[in-house]
Amino acid sequence: MANEPTFDETLTRNAFPASADVARLDGNGQPSAAQTHAEADAAMTQSWSGIGRIFSFFAIIVVLAFAMNAMITSGLRRTKTSLFGVENQIMEGKVNVQVLIAGSSRAIAHYDPRVIESITGHTAYNVGRNGAQTDMQVAFLKAYLAHNQKPQVVIFNLDAFTFVTSRDVFDPVEYTPYLYDPTLYDALRKINPGIWKSKYIPLYGYVVEDMNFSWVRGLRGFFGWNPKEDFFLGFNPRTKQWTDDFARMKENNPSGVRFEIQTKGMNVMQDLIRTCQQNGIQLIFVYSPEYTEMQALEKDRPEVFKLFHDLSQQFNVPFWDYSDWKHSNDQDFFQNSQHLNLAGAEVFSEDVANQLKTYLASHSQSAENSQLTGRLNHPTQD
Amino acid sequence: MLFNSMEFAIFFPLVTALYFLLPQRWRVQLLLAASCLFYMAFIPAYILILIVTILIDYVAGIYLERVQDPKQKKILLWVSILSTCTVLFIFKYFGFFTGSFVGLAGLFGWHLPRPIIGIILPIGLSFHTFQSLSYVVEVYRGNQKAEHNFIVYATYVMFFPQLVAGPIERPQNLLHQFREWHAFHYADVAAGLKRMGWGFFKKLVVADRLALYVNDVYGAPRSFNGLQLTLATFFFAYQIYCDFSGYSDIAIGAAQVLGFRLMENFNTPYYSMSVSEFWRRWHISLSTWFRDYVYVPLGGNRVSKNRHILNLMITFTVSGLWHGANWTYVIWGFLNGLYLIIGWLTKDVRNRFWNAVGFHEHTLARKATMLLSTFTLTCIAWIIFRARNMNDAFYVFTHLASGWNFHQIATEQFFLRQLPVAFAAILVLEIGQLWNSVVSVPAFVGKIPTVARWTLYASFIMTIVMFGIYKQTQFIYFQF
Repeated sequence: MANEPTFDETLTRNAFPASADVARLDGNGQPSAAQTHAEADAAMTQSWSGIGRIFSFFAIIVVLAFAMNAMITSGLRRTKTSLFGVENQIMEGKVNVQVLIAGSSRAIAHYDPRVIESITGHTAYNVGRNGAQTDMQVAFLKAYLAHNQKPQVVIFNLDAFTFVTSRDVFDPVEYTPYLYDPTLYDALRKINPGIWKSKYIPLYGYVVEDMNFSWVRGLRGFFGWNPKEDFFLGFNPRTKQWTDDFARMKENNPSGVRFEIQTKGMNVMQDLIRTCQQNGIQLIFVYSPEYTEMQALEKDRPEVFKLFHDLSQQFNVPFWDYSDWKHSNDQDFFQNSQHLNLAGAEVFSEDVANQLKTYLASHSQSAENSQLTGRLNHPTQD
Repeated sequence: MLFNSMEFAIFFPLVTALYFLLPQRWRVQLLLAASCLFYMAFIPAYILILIVTILIDYVAGIYLERVQDPKQKKILLWVSILSTCTVLFIFKYFGFFTGSFVGLAGLFGWHLPRPIIGIILPIGLSFHTFQSLSYVVEVYRGNQKAEHNFIVYATYVMFFPQLVAGPIERPQNLLHQFREWHAFHYADVAAGLKRMGWGFFKKLVVADRLALYVNDVYGAPRSFNGLQLTLATFFFAYQIYCDFSGYSDIAIGAAQVLGFRLMENFNTPYYSMSVSEFWRRWHISLSTWFRDYVYVPLGGNRVSKNRHILNLMITFTVSGLWHGANWTYVIWGFLNGLYLIIGWLTKDVRNRFWNAVGFHEHTLARKATMLLSTFTLTCIAWIIFRARNMNDAFYVFTHLASGWNFHQIATEQFFLRQLPVAFAAILVLEIGQLWNSVVSVPAFVGKIPTVARWTLYASFIMTIVMFGIYKQTQFIYFQF
């Protein structure tokens, strides 16, 4: 400390001494012409060699980036478990079930296809999307339909924000390995026109658009390592008990929340109905359980539900509303106001599976009857 | 235009290629046009403010050289300084001062309406204002000839690598370089690119990742426990250092690619053994600016003890205000001034204490204690700097030690899996800095055989690519 310099001590450091290459100019703005032609030629050759080296180095980086991108994509497409395992099964056309569940994160966390299969006797799968609005959910459903056999029934889970369309793609890395699929790519491009970067710029989709190191999963997948399974026929249960999410939400929104009803959102719902009708799929709308106190905070809930009922009646789509579910007021069955926890999901899956079983039974009965009536009316048709 | 943007990735190689292809007589024009484009990528209209500042000081410089009468010269200098500072005041401080005045009047029972102005602070205004002021003062002092070529002068103020966040150059160092021929020199270009690479590592891998955590915690400190507050403060110390020194590295490197030499701005400031040393290693171009144009003209230390203390306090408080129009910055500057004065006044007592306990000047324990205490004091000051207001700062101070919960470290944007990456990034940074303090890393690596060297460079670039955060966050110091 004794020799510690004072504040006044001059700091005139320059990291770089004046370069020997910096020469004063002559009057014509050219280097002062002391250099001989030979020296100039040597300097020029050195310059070109330097430029060549810099280009070569960056070319290597570009090649590395493409190679790394290919490895990650290939690894993610080879993954057999967890989220990418589900996506790979769907995109490779290996699902082919009779009952398909679609929707947002509420769909993923609420419907256990294993319970539905055991109760209804029909094969089932969950293709819900975390953080996806209806436009993205429908796009993914279409991608499913393009690669798999048509299901008999689609249970489409509704949310209070069903008529709000996407402002951005949530977790776009989930789709990056599958941007070759035109249905998916076109849907993503409508939401985010910049998605082309993820398709064509190497690593962009994995490092710029993702902060969860999905590329590490891709590299591991490339070498045959699969993550621990946490998706069961597409169902991703929430293991946490009631958190403080709802308390914080209430604190931030003391006068409640509003969800816009967009024309675009209505069009997407009609597109969903049309798609199912054209493919001969029975569509069922389900509003899965939501914590009771939250329902009161959704200011335009009546308007949203009126639209659900209108759509249901207009297009003859059954609408099962679980707003008044028997456990809707019990925090033991929820993780937060929107998501059931594992215990809640198991009970709800049983309830919805039983309703589906009854519905399918009556539906097949009425189908048989109408077929019988048809036969009686047109006996020569067979 | 941000350095960490796709636009810059296209802009910079293009400008560099054009620069070396053009004859000297067109190079300054190219740099000026490129600098305008660079600046206009933010808010195009704000270039007009820059032009006003440039015009004021360009004309002032010429007249300062022409006028011989010292009194007239002084008046001219002050007119120029006040005009330039008025621009800065209107865009940066008007809201702050009127707001403070209204608040003060309220204390005396005068309830004045708070003027509503919707001015966005032009990016880097404080930097180019100070660079411009430095020019007129140096011309006034006779250390620099007035620049008569407007294009050259405008390029000096607007030179794109250091336009928005420094280093704040002195005319003696930079201005003449625009008149010099810079040949394409592989060694310089390669060295500049390496420097830029290190800057990008600091910015993208360290600063921007830590920013995710810091922004979450300091955005709503009451929602976080003591451990999270402490970690966020520690992270902020590294975030602001890597953000700003990373910017400086990229700026110095980019200029070096074009053949220009900019002054160093940072010298591993967290290795300082005292706050005084810290300020000789942190934002050097600004601290020397304040030393040369504020502290020394006030009398520096060649005055009475009390006046010296006052000079230090004025210098540091004004330096705090330079950082932002908010009381947190003013108090941060004041606190640093206070640190310096206490350090100065207690120097002898502290030396006697260390010697009494047997820790002489070069003892490792003494050095470690001083380094840690300096870092802690700096972090305490950073809390005030980063907090949204003094209430938040007070909350952080009083809750740093309470409610530590090791099961609750992550935040909404910063998942737990990012924690090892954040610490690893800090570790790589420190290893790099320590290594460089022993031996020049670029020189050492330069001796490695080409294949191994290129593998090392490629691995480093891929590390930046794979572990960087690309949310296009602005550099912290842009706002100043």
